[in-house]
Amino acid sequence: MTTNADNSLEQELLFAIIKEKYGHLLTDEQLDSVRAAIVGQREVFRPIREYRLTNDVEPFANFRPFRGD
Amino acid sequence: MADTFIFKPIRELARLIAGREVSPVEITQTFLARLEQYGPHYNALVTLTPDRAMDTARQAEADLAAGRNRGLLHGIPWGAKDLLATGGGIPTTWGAAPFRDQQFDYDATVVTKLEGAGAPLAGKLAMIELAGGMGYIHPDASLTGPPKNPWDTGRWTGGSSSGSGAAVAAGLVPFAIGSETWGSILIPANNCGLAGLRPTYGRVSRHGAMALCWTLDKLGPLCLTADDCGIVLEAIAGPDPQDGSTHPEPFNYNANFNPGRRYRIGVPRGALDEAADAVKENFEVAIEVLGDVADVEEMEFPEFPYVEITSVILMVESASAFEDFLAEGGPRELSAPGWHGRSPYARPAVLATDYIKALRLRGIMACQVDEVMARYDVVAAPTAMNTATPIDQEFRSRSMTSAGAGDLMGSIGNGCGLPSISVPSGFDGDGLPTGIQFMARAYDENVCLSIAREYQGRTEWHTRHPGEPDI
Repeated sequence: MTTNADNSLEQELLFAIIKEKYGHLLTDEQLDSVRAAIVGQREVFRPIREYRLTNDVEPFANFRPFRGD
Repeated sequence: MADTFIFKPIRELARLIAGREVSPVEITQTFLARLEQYGPHYNALVTLTPDRAMDTARQAEADLAAGRNRGLLHGIPWGAKDLLATGGGIPTTWGAAPFRDQQFDYDATVVTKLEGAGAPLAGKLAMIELAGGMGYIHPDASLTGPPKNPWDTGRWTGGSSSGSGAAVAAGLVPFAIGSETWGSILIPANNCGLAGLRPTYGRVSRHGAMALCWTLDKLGPLCLTADDCGIVLEAIAGPDPQDGSTHPEPFNYNANFNPGRRYRIGVPRGALDEAADAVKENFEVAIEVLGDVADVEEMEFPEFPYVEITSVILMVESASAFEDFLAEGGPRELSAPGWHGRSPYARPAVLATDYIKALRLRGIMACQVDEVMARYDVVAAPTAMNTATPIDQEFRSRSMTSAGAGDLMGSIGNGCGLPSISVPSGFDGDGLPTGIQFMARAYDENVCLSIAREYQGRTEWHTRHPGEPDI
């Protein structure tokens, strides 16, 4: 079970990754904007994570082995 | 003479050309002159391509003299959203300052196909930088300045196919090619009073087009009429070995398509809840008009996280498509760098499992939506809830989370890759166009084109055009 507190921690950890990767390119104000956006994205993930799928449901994307001859 | 072919639908232009009443060279020179004179006024033009256009026009003229007519687009000039690659030293800017000098040594498949049909490329048209891929909330997010709406230059054209919308609406080109990842053809069509067709995903090759989101990007026409859209789609559609997503069958436009019975139109429950008064009133009148040929009923899509699924796919694929650009600090060079709660640097902050889950849910979404859509020929709704917004104001202040909360048609249509056409449904009290969209099942472009033609055959909104600018 994931709680709101866990979600907040997750967003902070995701923000830390972004800060580590791109922080040198961004001002403090811009980083605040990134943090706000990451927190907002939590609401995008929530209904996706709540949806239960059986093991057999594959991504809706095709993979085909390739031979060039 | 020019008065006889400005703002004329393609079929009429083709008749004039075939009847030698106007030559491909003459018509191309006229539209080149208009694009050069008025394009900058609307911030609609990036690069005029006169040499290339005239080469094609002269060849078209020689072909006609030799008794060869390549079809309805023979000799009819057009404009390309500046995310379509063009060789020959013509820049392809993607509407963004960091790419202002970018050049390719090949042409996008769409460009090749249209020129092969004898249609001269008159210019590369303005767009929202990187097709809005870095997030934007102001119309000025464009290399060439905020795109101005020919109906009122204090209003926005909509994006991201902004120049394509402005140029066709102002009679600077007979038609243009735009692209849509989520709304970028239909919204400019709505705001500029045009017919704009978003084809089924894979109907038109994306080869040579800037990638924003590989599984959402579509190329399609912005035209004066639905019939024009069908003509252009037939020319640009078809399989392409250079784009593995293309549908294997060609698209044959059937201008006489008729279901052989009354059309069945579904209108999503709540489709008008957030609509401005004029949008709502014009939509209701449009539905009454369609009552001549259609049975209309309220319908519902099953409850599902459409917006969230499509949003996650857009976030992750755009972050990947521009991974190097982000890592190099590229957004700093943009007109709208995205420091406003829609930062592009937040987009990589998505777990891989969330993205894959969205792709798994996408398959369920596609099946559920198709099951519902199969009960109707088209699902109709207002294209946008408002007319064009002021050019100096935020057009959308909501965060990514809620950006598409009311955009059920957009999230379903783009997430499932369904075709949809927007045509003008009237005007508001300020003289700005409103639009109605007809969305069909996958690969049913002939169906949505057909109902749009029926509607345009009963209304005259598409025959109205903005006045010439006072410059």
